[in-house]
Amino acid sequence: MSMIEFHNVQKFYGHFHALHDINLEIDQGETVVLIGPSGSGKSTLVRTVNGLESIQKGKLIVNGHDLSDPKTNLNILRSDVGMVFQHFNLYKNKDVLENIMLAPRIVSHIPEEENKKQALDLLDMVGLRKWAHNMPSQISGGQKQRVAIARTLAMKPKLILYDEPTSALDPEMIDDVLQVIKKVTNESGMTSLIVTHEMGFAKEVANRVIFMDQGRIVEDDDSESFFKQPKTERAQQFLSKIISH
Amino acid sequence: MQNWINAFSWLNVRFLLMGLWVTIYISVISVILSFIFGSILGIIRYSKIKYVSQVVGFVIDIIRNIPLLLIIFFTYFGLPNFGLRPETIPAAIIAMTVFESSMIAEIVRSGIQSVSVGQMEGARSTGMSFVQALWHVVLPQAYKNMVPAIISQFVSLIKDTSLATIIVVPEMMQHAQVIYGQNANYILPMFAALAVLYFVVCFTLSIIGNVIGKHLS
Repeated sequence: MSMIEFHNVQKFYGHFHALHDINLEIDQGETVVLIGPSGSGKSTLVRTVNGLESIQKGKLIVNGHDLSDPKTNLNILRSDVGMVFQHFNLYKNKDVLENIMLAPRIVSHIPEEENKKQALDLLDMVGLRKWAHNMPSQISGGQKQRVAIARTLAMKPKLILYDEPTSALDPEMIDDVLQVIKKVTNESGMTSLIVTHEMGFAKEVANRVIFMDQGRIVEDDDSESFFKQPKTERAQQFLSKIISH
Repeated sequence: MQNWINAFSWLNVRFLLMGLWVTIYISVISVILSFIFGSILGIIRYSKIKYVSQVVGFVIDIIRNIPLLLIIFFTYFGLPNFGLRPETIPAAIIAMTVFESSMIAEIVRSGIQSVSVGQMEGARSTGMSFVQALWHVVLPQAYKNMVPAIISQFVSLIKDTSLATIIVVPEMMQHAQVIYGQNANYILPMFAALAVLYFVVCFTLSIIGNVIGKHLS
């Protein structure tokens, strides 16, 4: 069964045509990595999936909800679709534990004790339990991102969107975060859509790679064939530039 | 010197303090009401609800750009034409609330906008509604940033209550005028007393504001 379906989706920012005629189907349980040069529309595409960006034309169905229909309740959709942001977006007014517990409490109405236990377990999983009562400003970027992943997991999502989760991190912090993402995608059977510039990680984690350029999907292939030999010249060019340095 | 001693007879001091009481009364009620209405209007303006937030924005712009004195005149002398005849104190409270709400609304709107968009997006992406995200995540951060601006607006509000003397509200300024109206030698003592009393009230509020600001951060 498919988790995400794009049918001829168009996205405009004023006159700028950000997404051209996107057709894409992602099945439940797939781990899809989205790569491409900056400005190619990767982040925009990911942000349309949970309705942070609206689409102007075409049909977009995510987890059975039709995002092209303005009557669709985005809050219900989003409680099943987690998102991990480039800049973490932890709530600055809440400590680490509260960051994780807030949405389960006020959106899913989970009993407080169960919620707290789940949050602490998740912190264990990302290796940050002892930071539970620190404010986001007191922890490092890599730790923030791991908390953000725990916060997303606390809603037990069916799909997680990662929008360049390591681009804002110091090189030394990147690995910890990638390890956590790998663990989550391997163990959970969740569907993941990941925008990243980390090619080694992409190769390791992805079942499928989508290459975008100038708002279009240029190539869509299984991970192994893509990294061995991209079919299009544009993707070959991109890969050679990225890997050569 | 004798003038100063006479000016501050117990009768006069008591009369002045009665005025101060009315000044504080009008200020406190107007501060509370304009904080509530200003916050609601500011949030509506920020929310970009079609038409509603534009209309609210338009009205706020009009009120912010006309003198408070005119609004006070209008509530007292204009409203009777529409069948409403507020007494002087309620008229002053209505006028202050209308004017200050529009000022607070702009402070609230820019305070919300000073919180990074990512905070709202982070909250919304977990399934929180717009109102939940505002209430639990964005507003607490916004109000923290807004404390200095809101306090200085309320200091202005207290000083501006003196304008209500024009519709003979029995506040401090009005009472001082009554006192020196009886004896022109009391003019300077009364001005000095007004300056001291307004200063004490406003400065106290500023200090409270600073304490709140420090406590929040």
